[in-house]
Amino acid sequence: MSINTLDDVEFGENLPAFQPDTSLANVKRFAVAAGWNTPRFTDHEAARREGLPGALVPGIMSQGFLSAMIHRWAPSAEVRLVDTIFRAPCVVDETYHINGVVTDIDEEAGEVEIDLTVTNDAQETRVFGTAKVLIQGTD
Amino acid sequence: MILDLHAHSIKSDDGRAKVQNYCQWIKTRNIAIDGFVLTEHRQFDDESDYSQLAQKHGLTILKGAEVETEYGHVLVFGVTQALQEAFDFSDIHLPLAKVLAACETHNAVAVPCHPGRKRVGMAAHLDEFGIPAGVRIVEVFNGGSRGDEDAVAHALAEEQSYMGIGGSDAHIVSHIGRCATEFPQQINNETELVAALQEGNFHALKLNQEA
Repeated sequence: MSINTLDDVEFGENLPAFQPDTSLANVKRFAVAAGWNTPRFTDHEAARREGLPGALVPGIMSQGFLSAMIHRWAPSAEVRLVDTIFRAPCVVDETYHINGVVTDIDEEAGEVEIDLTVTNDAQETRVFGTAKVLIQGTD
Repeated sequence: MILDLHAHSIKSDDGRAKVQNYCQWIKTRNIAIDGFVLTEHRQFDDESDYSQLAQKHGLTILKGAEVETEYGHVLVFGVTQALQEAFDFSDIHLPLAKVLAACETHNAVAVPCHPGRKRVGMAAHLDEFGIPAGVRIVEVFNGGSRGDEDAVAHALAEEQSYMGIGGSDAHIVSHIGRCATEFPQQINNETELVAALQEGNFHALKLNQEA
């Protein structure tokens, strides 16, 4: 269900989770577009030579996936903050899940707080954080 | 009684959860815990009084701390003013022996947490510093564990005959109660928690939660 007004939002509600495209081809396209075209994001071997487990999904790409989830859920939401803490790297070509859940509703301010996580298939949290979004009330 | 012995609120630099939202989440999602302990990083939260919130939601909310030593991070339960004067909670290079000795003197309990974790867990430092004297309990289930971290913690506990606790290490609301510790008795305050830990009659739990 798409969220249009604050009245539609429920505490504990899950946002529509999805599995992002973290293939090397897609991450390369993003890295070029974002001006972050360095081997640590686009070349597994080069990244391993830097001591990394493989090419990494850029942090801002993960934030982009999280923001995309919010807008799929509430297309007219104004995202005020995406505050992320990177606990473990997300490696290109591995499978991840983008998740969100409503954990606070400030009806007066029209603000909703959302817990954000990027998890892997083992359900380990790689990235966590919160988003604050403004959603219009009923007119 | 089931308590999540390791949680952070917005009082911690990397904590993003408000305590009232932890309570709301536990009740809304029927999380199988009776309360939790706020273990803020490198500090004891003297200011906050959660007694009304606890009463409103029928939960036990206690306070402890998570300090940093050469063996990694350590939970401290039973923090008093005297204990806070015994060592600097904000020091990121505390000697574990000093923390353990101060806890012994001031009737508190120190528990190395996520001991299987690289860099901030006790097992990572045993080759360099050896087995520390005086540890009796370690955290064997941590909600933020990745890979084999909990397995390493369990192996260490078994090898050294440590008792094990569980805690979620929650930093966001929806992570509270992922792991916890079950006690046979009711625990109402920090003094009773210390007594229960000293008694040793408890076990660590990993709790499944619906997505």
